[in-house]
Amino acid sequence: MRDHEQIKQLISVYFDGAATPEEERIVLAHLKDCESCRKYWQEVKSISSSLKELPQEDLSPDLEQKINKKIRAVQDREEQKMKKKSYVGLGVGAGVVSFIVCLLVIQTHVKTGIQGKWRMAADDIGTEYAAARQQIELAKQNLQYETYYLEANYGQKGEMKAQPLPAPGEHQGYVDRRMKEIYARAGVDKKSATHGPRTLKKDSEPQSFMQIFGAGEKLEDGRSGSKSALYAYNAKGHRTRSAGGYQVEKGASYDVLHDDFSTAPAIEPSKRPVDRLKLREISVSEEIWPLPPRRREGDFNTEAYDRIYENGFKVVLDNPLSTFSIDVDTASYSNVRRFLNQGQLPPEDAVRIEEMVNYFVYDYPQPRGRDPFSINTEIAACPWNQNHQLALIGLQGKQLAANEIAPSNLVFLIDVSGSMNDRNKLPLLKSAFRMFVNQLHANERVSIVTYAGSAGLVLDSTRGANKGAIFSAIDRLHAGGSTAGGQGIQLAYDVAQRNFIPNGNNRVILATDGDFNVGMSSDADMVRLIEEKRNAGIFLSVLGFGTGNYKDAKMEKIADKGNGNYYYIDSENEARKVLVHELGSLLFTIAKDVKLQIEFNPSQVKAYRLIGYENRVMAKEDFNNDTKDAGELGAGHTVTALYEIVPAGSPEQYGDIDALKYQKQVVRRSNDFMTVKLRYKQPKGHRSQLISETIDRRDIRTRNVSENFNFATSVAEFGLLLRDSQFKGNANYDNVLNRARYSRGRDSWGYRTEFINLVEKAKSLQIPQYYNKPYYKGRDDNYIPRTHPMFKGHRE
Amino acid sequence: MEHRQDEELIADYQTGNEEALKMLFERYKKPIFNFALRMLGNRADAEDVTSEVFITLVTKKDAYKPTAKFSTWIFTVTRNASISKLRKRKKSFTMWFQKEDSKDYEQWEVPDNRLPSDNIVKNETKSQLSRAISNLPPEQREAIILREYHQMSYDQIKEIMNCSLDKVKILIYRAREQLRNELPSIISEEDNA
Repeated sequence: MRDHEQIKQLISVYFDGAATPEEERIVLAHLKDCESCRKYWQEVKSISSSLKELPQEDLSPDLEQKINKKIRAVQDREEQKMKKKSYVGLGVGAGVVSFIVCLLVIQTHVKTGIQGKWRMAADDIGTEYAAARQQIELAKQNLQYETYYLEANYGQKGEMKAQPLPAPGEHQGYVDRRMKEIYARAGVDKKSATHGPRTLKKDSEPQSFMQIFGAGEKLEDGRSGSKSALYAYNAKGHRTRSAGGYQVEKGASYDVLHDDFSTAPAIEPSKRPVDRLKLREISVSEEIWPLPPRRREGDFNTEAYDRIYENGFKVVLDNPLSTFSIDVDTASYSNVRRFLNQGQLPPEDAVRIEEMVNYFVYDYPQPRGRDPFSINTEIAACPWNQNHQLALIGLQGKQLAANEIAPSNLVFLIDVSGSMNDRNKLPLLKSAFRMFVNQLHANERVSIVTYAGSAGLVLDSTRGANKGAIFSAIDRLHAGGSTAGGQGIQLAYDVAQRNFIPNGNNRVILATDGDFNVGMSSDADMVRLIEEKRNAGIFLSVLGFGTGNYKDAKMEKIADKGNGNYYYIDSENEARKVLVHELGSLLFTIAKDVKLQIEFNPSQVKAYRLIGYENRVMAKEDFNNDTKDAGELGAGHTVTALYEIVPAGSPEQYGDIDALKYQKQVVRRSNDFMTVKLRYKQPKGHRSQLISETIDRRDIRTRNVSENFNFATSVAEFGLLLRDSQFKGNANYDNVLNRARYSRGRDSWGYRTEFINLVEKAKSLQIPQYYNKPYYKGRDDNYIPRTHPMFKGHRE
Repeated sequence: MEHRQDEELIADYQTGNEEALKMLFERYKKPIFNFALRMLGNRADAEDVTSEVFITLVTKKDAYKPTAKFSTWIFTVTRNASISKLRKRKKSFTMWFQKEDSKDYEQWEVPDNRLPSDNIVKNETKSQLSRAISNLPPEQREAIILREYHQMSYDQIKEIMNCSLDKVKILIYRAREQLRNELPSIISEEDNA
C-alpha cells in the first residue's frame, strides 16, 4: 500500500513532466501491471483537464483604469522625487560652497586685509550664476514643450509618410541650436553656465568648487541617462548634454526617436540606434495600421480606436459636392452597448455615428426595376437645432428570394488561442455558430479553420445538408495556445480557393478577439494577401469578440481591405442578429463600390455637414474613378446617411474668406434642393453604373415626419451626445428618448427597445461622477486625495 | 513587439520604454488577477493585490534580475502580496466573527446569464470545482493552481513558493488526492465520456 502511495506520487510528478528518467521508467513499468494505478493516471488527467477548463475571470475595466491611474500617479511622484533629490544635491552643494567662500573670505581678509574686492567678486558671480541658472531651467522647460510640439505634430497619424521627421542629427542640431540661443539669451556662455564659477577658479578658488559643481552636473546627467531608452546610443554617438538628455528623458520621446531613426536618411552608422531593424519594422506596420494618436500620459487600456475628427460644416458655394463611400458596418453600436452595459460611457472615438445609425433596419420601400436598390430621401427640421434642417438619404438593398441566392462557399477562420476561452468569446461564437448552421441551405458549403499555436483544418468543406458533421466539428472547438494568425489566414484562403464556386459567394469569415498576430513577415504582407484574394473573388468578413485587448481600428481595416463587413459581437442577441438575421447582407453582396455624391444647390442651402462617415469621405474626383474602392451593399440591407443643413437664408457665418477678386460666382436659381448621385458596380462588374435623383425644395416636410426619419435622427442625436460633439447643439437625452419611443414601430426583434434602454442608461451615467470620487466625504472640501500622507500605509 | 519574450520586454522597460510596460500589463493582468483570486477567494482583495503587483513592477522594476524567468518573478511578487493581504485580513477584526474554515467565500463567480440553459450542468461542475479548490489548504491550493492553471514547471513553483522541489511534488500530489476525493462526480463523468 505504501508502495502504491509512493508510486502515485511519482505518477503525479511524471504527469507534470518533471520526473527523472529513472522515475519515468519505474512509473511506466508499474502502470503496465497495475490496474488501480492506471485508473489513478486517468483520474489525474481528468482533474487536470477540468481544472484547465475553469474560466479565467476578467478584470473589470474599472480596475484596469484604476491601476493605470495609480501607475501614472506613482510615476509622477517618482519623477518629482528625482527632481527634489537633485535640488537637494544642488542645495547641499551650494551650502558647502558658500561655507568655503566664507572661509576663504575670512582667510583672505585675515591674510591681506583686502575685504571688499573679494566679497564683491564672489557675490557678483554668485548672483549672476544663480540668475542664469534659473533662466536656463525655465528655458529648458520651454524647450521640452517645443519637443513635445514637434512630437505632437510629426507624430500624428498619416502625416508620417508625407513629412519625415528631421534626421536625428538635425533634430539634435535643432535642440543644440535652441539651447545655444537660450544660453545666449541668459547672457552667459554655455560653459560658464554649467560650471558656474569656474572662471573664479583661475584666480585662486580651491579645487572643491569644481568638484562640487562637477558632481552636480554628473548627477543630472546620470539622471537623464539612466531613464533614457537611448542611453547607449547617446554614449556611443555623441554624448548629449542635459538638453538632449532632458528631451529623451521627459517626453514619451522613445517614440519620437523611434520614428526619427526609421524615416531618417542614412547617417553615420555609429549614430544608429542599437536595433535598427526592429524599429524599422514597427514603422512599416504603422503605415498600414495607423496607431491611435499618442497620448501624453501612458494610457494602459490597449483597446485601440482611431481618433475621429468630425466633419465640419462646409459652405456650399465653396464645396458644392459631398462625396463618401457607404458603410454597412455596425460594430460601433455593439461596442457602445458593451460599455454602457458595464456602466461606463464609451470613449468618444469608439462612437462612430454612421455605424450606430446603420445598426438599425429602416423601413424603406423595396427597389423596383433593374437597380439593386432604391434611394429614399427625406428632409425635415433638425431636432437639435431648430434653425437647421436635416436630410436623410436611405438606400434599400434588394431582398433576394431563396432561389436567387448564389451558392456560397464559406470558410470560418476561428481564433482558438487561450484568450478566446472567456465565456463571451469562443463559447458565444459556438452557440451563435450553431444557430447559423441550423438555417444553412443545403447547397451552401462550410469549412472551419482554426488557428492558435498552429493552424488546423477542423472541418473540410461540407454541404449545408450534412448539418450533423458541422455540429460535431463545432463541438470539437476549444481554446488553448497562443495566437498565430498568419498561417491560419493562408490556410483559410487555400481552402476557399480549393472549393471556389464561380459566380458564388466565396468568403472567409474571421472570428477573433483582436490579437491577430501575424505570422507572415509583416502586416503589409497580410493586407496584400487580403487584397489579392479579394480581387480573385474571395472576400473577408470579420466578427469581433471580447473586451480589453480589442483592436477595433485594425479589425475594421482588415474587413475593409477584404470587401467585407465587420461586426462586433458582445452577446447572444447580437450574435443572432448578425449571423442569423443579417445572413443575407453578410453573405450576399448585391452591389460593390457604392459611392454617393450629393450636390447641394447654393440658392437653397448655405452649408451642410455630413454626420458620421468620417473615415469614408472621398475626394470629389474619386466618385467617377472606378478604380477607387468603396463600400459594399448586401441583400436586403439598408444604409442611411444624414446631413445637417443650414438653409440659404440663415444669418450664420461659416468660413470667413474674403470675396474673390477675379472670379464671380453665379448661382442659378432653381427649386432643386440637392441632387443625389450614386455609383455602384455589380458584384462581378468592373464598370460602375450611375443613378441620380433630384430632390425639390417642396419635398421638405414640415409635418408627418416618417418613423424612419425620427428613429434615425434620434440615434444620431444619441451619438452626438456620446461623442460630446461640438455640433450637438441643443441635443439632449430627453429628446432622444421621446423620439425613439415615438418611432419605435413594430420592433419585432426588440432592437429599438434595447436602444431606448441604452439611452436611459447613458442618461443616468451623465450625472456628474462627483459622488463616485474616492474618499468623498459628503462635501467638496472634504475630498482628500489618495496621495495624502494620511493614507500612507492604509488600505486603499 | 508582440512577439517578444517577457524577458526582453522587462529589459526594455528597465531602460525606460513605457510601451513595454503596457505589453507586460496586457500579458500578465489576467494571470495575476486570477492567481490572486484563487489565493484570496474574493474579488476585492484580488483587485487590491493585482494593482499592488503592477505598482511594484513600476517602483521596483530594477529588482528583477534576468537570472530568473520574468513570470517566476512576477508570480513571486503576487504571492508575497497575497500572503501579506491574508495576514492583514487575519489580523483584521472581522475574523473574530468569521471562522477561517467557515468557507464563507464571497460569490465571485458571476452567474452567466448570457449562455443557453444547457450550460447549467457545466456551470454546476465548475462551481463544484472552484469550491473544491478553495477548500484545499492554502499551500496545496497555491501549488496546484500554479501548476494546472498557469502551467508553471516544478522548478518555477519551487522558486515562487520558496521551498524545496520535494515539497512541491508532495503538495501537488496531495492536492490532487484531495480533489479526487472531493470530486468523484467529475471523474466518473469523464470516465463515461
